[in-house]
Amino acid sequence: MNLGTRKILDRSFSAVGIGSIAVMGIALLIVIVPIVYNGLGAVFFTETIEHRNMLYNEFGKGDKAELDKENAAAGIYRKEAYSMLSRFEAEMETMEPVRQQEFRSKYGPVQTALRHLIGPLPGDEEAILTRYRYGQTRWEKAEEKLHELLYEAKWDYSDPNSMAKEYFVSRAAEFEGTSLVRLFPYVENNLDKMLQPRFTVYWGFLTDSSVDSHIFGGVWPEIQGTFFLAVGAMLFAFPLGVIAAIYFTEYARDGFFTSMLRSANSTLAGVPSIVFGLFGLAFFINTLKVSESKSVLAGSLTLAIMILPTIIRAAEEAILSVPKTYKEASLSLGSTKWNTIMTVILPAALPGILTGGVISLGRAAGETAPIIFTAAVSVGSAIGIADVLSSPTPALSWNIYNLASEHEAAAEIRHVQYGMVLALVSIVLLLNLSAILLRARISKKLKG
Amino acid sequence: MNLFRKIAFSAAVLGFMAAGTADAASKIVMDGSTTVGPIAKSFASYFTKTTGVQVTVSESGSGNGAKSLINKTCDIANLSREMKDKEIAAAKSKGVNPVEHIVALDGLAVVVHPSNRVQKLSKAQIRDIYTGKVTNWNQVGGPSAPIVKIQRESNSGTQDSFVSLVMGKDNPVSKRAETQASNGAVKNRVASTPGAIGFIGLGFVDDSVKPLKVDGVEPDERTVRNGTYPISRPLFMYTNGQPTGVVKQFIDLKNTAEGKRMISELGFVNR
Repeated sequence: MNLGTRKILDRSFSAVGIGSIAVMGIALLIVIVPIVYNGLGAVFFTETIEHRNMLYNEFGKGDKAELDKENAAAGIYRKEAYSMLSRFEAEMETMEPVRQQEFRSKYGPVQTALRHLIGPLPGDEEAILTRYRYGQTRWEKAEEKLHELLYEAKWDYSDPNSMAKEYFVSRAAEFEGTSLVRLFPYVENNLDKMLQPRFTVYWGFLTDSSVDSHIFGGVWPEIQGTFFLAVGAMLFAFPLGVIAAIYFTEYARDGFFTSMLRSANSTLAGVPSIVFGLFGLAFFINTLKVSESKSVLAGSLTLAIMILPTIIRAAEEAILSVPKTYKEASLSLGSTKWNTIMTVILPAALPGILTGGVISLGRAAGETAPIIFTAAVSVGSAIGIADVLSSPTPALSWNIYNLASEHEAAAEIRHVQYGMVLALVSIVLLLNLSAILLRARISKKLKG
Repeated sequence: MNLFRKIAFSAAVLGFMAAGTADAASKIVMDGSTTVGPIAKSFASYFTKTTGVQVTVSESGSGNGAKSLINKTCDIANLSREMKDKEIAAAKSKGVNPVEHIVALDGLAVVVHPSNRVQKLSKAQIRDIYTGKVTNWNQVGGPSAPIVKIQRESNSGTQDSFVSLVMGKDNPVSKRAETQASNGAVKNRVASTPGAIGFIGLGFVDDSVKPLKVDGVEPDERTVRNGTYPISRPLFMYTNGQPTGVVKQFIDLKNTAEGKRMISELGFVNR
């Protein structure tokens, strides 16, 4: 091959290499940026006075005197809006029946929209569900709801042959000629005074329980559940995995049996996680009855079986990579095999073993399928460490799925879902980071 | 090796903490229907708030709820259909005696995308759509657009109710119907697909989808309660034997004023 062609091939190869790295980087950015941006929105956002009221009533957080002052300030503007409502109600009474009927049917949606915006109206019976006791707790949501108050969404069904298009009708125009017409510009101009928006950092998102199935509050039970499940899985899988790896590398003789065991282990690593989930349900819960219901224990055991092959392989590789001379030196000094393994080989292999362990920990924290049937519930409070043997728990991975698909108000609480995603991604990243740091520290110690 | 000792120690501490006994009487485990889910979740928060009893709710579908009850892995199974004879027989053979409690009534709202001009369908038309006989909206008075049929998975009580109330035994749902795994998922799919049709519990209906009149009757609280809405069904909670203690207290919540208020605030119908 002549030199020119070689150069061109060489260059194009590096171009393709750089290109694929760039594609990977862009993909990562496209995935990570919205997660981080939207996820941070669960903690850093512009809260309204409804949010502060909710926090005070549900969690006892906040300064009562300050809150009363703000409520009073907001109350002045709200009262004006309420009086417009009652004036219109009185006006409706005086209308002739047909007209009254027509306005009544239009007035209902206005009331509903206003309730969504600033909370229950005077005269409403107090709601039992917390979600109906407050207006919008987030300012950006309030602005969306304001649009719903100001405009009615209608569909243009005039063309029978195609799908209708949505268009908006100003509600003010619909109430033209009545006293209610003043309400719409009034609310539009004074919404900030009624809701007193303020930028806030709501760390409670990470430390509070949820209120009214995730409509308000935080995700602490989920974070705790994820932690329990992952740590529990490690408690079972790590010792077993390391012992199995020692057996494979130091004790097992190469033969049919060992190679069968090895390939069984590799096969296990490739089994889809939902299979482990169903296995966990059938074996741990229905057959062994490790607990009366789904529980953290059953979930941890299932996750442990799922990550066991990875831990065994990582530990095996780590042990095999310890230079043979270490072992020979130890044995030649008269040390026993057991002693050599415990004092020479394992410490030298520890960084690799731990890395494998922590990466498996991350995987255990993030898996959904194994815990659906064995441990996860969509609503439950944070459980104490004493309850892990018998109680199921909410967990981040499962609740993200639940909020994305099953929750009845999924569209209203996207921020909670994003917050959970970010929390889960951060936990897994932190675990991996700590694996890297731990490895570096131990390697340094071993060298030094 | 210091580090090993540290690891062993922390493992021992965690193990010791985990060994503490849990008070089994003061918790309730619920499993089952996604339709009953909102009621169960709201009851659970309210119950935990007022009595301090821990209640956990899983939404894995009516079929799984029934299985959990049969395997004695839950205290209360939420079902959006009656327990099948097969399930009752399986329960009996395992020494479980399922007792049914009707929590609320629910209409199965047949929903389409709001841009669809169709306002009402008859039961026969819905059946024809789901068997695959009618494939375009213009055959039932709508625009010219193919119909995307959305159904629920076989584990779903809502699916069972729909099949028995609308389809009947001799008209299987077309194989081309798309399957979604929960009420919320069906709603999202219909809300994002202009040609779609689906069916969801009344409590899940919001502005993103349009409920149709069925046989000329609007699905709402009144028509479901008085039985004029043709596709309505009760929602159940099942316990093993007559409930006692906190489970009884929980089940009885449906008869209290607060329980009734919660059910109607969620958009379901009190009995």
